[in-house]
Amino acid sequence: MSAMGCNEFISQLEDWLDGNRHPDAQTHARECARCRSVAADLEDIRGVAPALMVSDPEPSPELWIRLRSQLEEEGIIRNVGSVPSGARMPAWLDRLLVAIPRPALAGAYLAFLFAVAFGFSATQGLRTSQSPNFALSAQLDSAEQTAYSSLKEEKSLASASLHENLAIVDNYIALCENSVREEPDNEEARDYLYQAYEQKAELISQMTERGEPSR
Amino acid sequence: MNTQPIYTRYLSNSLYKGLLSGLERPLSRKIPRIGARKSAARKTAAVRAAGWIACGFLIVGAAPAWADHVEKHFKVDARPVITLHNPNGAVTVKAWTKSEVMVIATPATSDVEVDVEQTGNRVDIMTHPASDNVSGDELRADFEIRVPQDAELQIHDDSGAVSVNSVLGDMNVETVGAGVDLSDAAGYLSVKTIGGSFQCLRCAGQVEVSSISGNFRLLDMRSYHVRAQTSKGNILFNGEFIPNGFYELKNYSGVIEVRFSPGDSFDLSATSLKGKVNNEAKLIPPTHQQHFYSRFGNSLFGSFNSGRAKVELSSFDGTINILKRN
Repeated sequence: MSAMGCNEFISQLEDWLDGNRHPDAQTHARECARCRSVAADLEDIRGVAPALMVSDPEPSPELWIRLRSQLEEEGIIRNVGSVPSGARMPAWLDRLLVAIPRPALAGAYLAFLFAVAFGFSATQGLRTSQSPNFALSAQLDSAEQTAYSSLKEEKSLASASLHENLAIVDNYIALCENSVREEPDNEEARDYLYQAYEQKAELISQMTERGEPSR
Repeated sequence: MNTQPIYTRYLSNSLYKGLLSGLERPLSRKIPRIGARKSAARKTAAVRAAGWIACGFLIVGAAPAWADHVEKHFKVDARPVITLHNPNGAVTVKAWTKSEVMVIATPATSDVEVDVEQTGNRVDIMTHPASDNVSGDELRADFEIRVPQDAELQIHDDSGAVSVNSVLGDMNVETVGAGVDLSDAAGYLSVKTIGGSFQCLRCAGQVEVSSISGNFRLLDMRSYHVRAQTSKGNILFNGEFIPNGFYELKNYSGVIEVRFSPGDSFDLSATSLKGKVNNEAKLIPPTHQQHFYSRFGNSLFGSFNSGRAKVELSSFDGTINILKRN
């Protein structure tokens, strides 16, 4: 029996994709078809990401359709009638996809995006059937670091405001996570948490956009 | 980032340093012997005077570089679209009765350029650097814009301030730190800031505003649809609750304050998960709908008069005040 659960496996997917595969993770992947399949999909995506980087400014929709179908089949997310079968990501997530640098898409961001798809599709009518995945917070932190590293050395008012507000959102995320931990059945607290995650993702997206050399 | 005063960028480095050394050295130098003090003082005064004169010439020479402004006029048809992308600066838009758009742009320096282009019934305004030396807050231009009343506006202004008066067309304003001040506006008003405050005075139509740390003041409102969300900010709503209107105000912390009159009619739902709800309205059990009574936090539901408008107030740990209008 694997000592590692699905959440833990997902949280260390980045290491997995980098080839650092802990024995417990390997055991879990052997035993859990869902996680094995997810890891395989991400490996596929990573394999074609360099081509996207060179030739296509947008990630191929087929990849997302495939990934989403897989997630739906596995019951990790569920589709609501109004969402077309073409597997749309939430609008803000689309924006993030467009904004992130292509090289990053091939690496850490994939884990982040995937965690986002896992963790809080609730705002767009998709809801996980699992308990809140706080690993998402760590993934957002990781994305934040990547965003920072891609930023130009700029000390403008706007840049200062973005950083200041990111700290505010981080504070709310911590408060809401505590609240959800204390009252797991509190749907409203969970909604506040999801919204704070969304705000953080949007801020990171804006910061990343500003870091692009074309601006 | 270049932190020198603007005019110093027009001086060569050596001249600038020489000028500064001429001005500063006597101040920092040790006081000479008493016998030499008079001549030293005269020399110092001469050097200082020469320095100021030179500085004055150079400042005067450099002044037009940031004082230049551009004024352009464009004939437009009904419902023109005006877009503005400006990283930093004060933007003032006012409606007038002419079928014309007037743009007066004042770039902060000669390193900043403003492009204004008309394509059909659309006028696009964009601030951009004229050289590689410009970055951050230096990329600044201020705008005075006149538009027909029915104009549609799309404004992006990261820092500074945005003020729009008497424009009745749809409006989309996005800022980072810039405050947004609308008055006598109508149409579909969408405002998004990160840290900028928002004020709407006598606004009608539909208002959607979101921010992270901005405060909102919605005053003398005549809007039938208001959705306002800020995380760390206060929200004040003082206006009419139009029958069948929808008013949703939400924050994480801070104060949400709603003012009502005895003649208003609304269904109220107010919940603060970790904070307080203070209410001066005499509510009766809801007349129109079933509410979800949360087990968590402080909630208040009910109808005021016949409950014709719908008011939803929610906060994570802030305070909600429903108060009588003075």
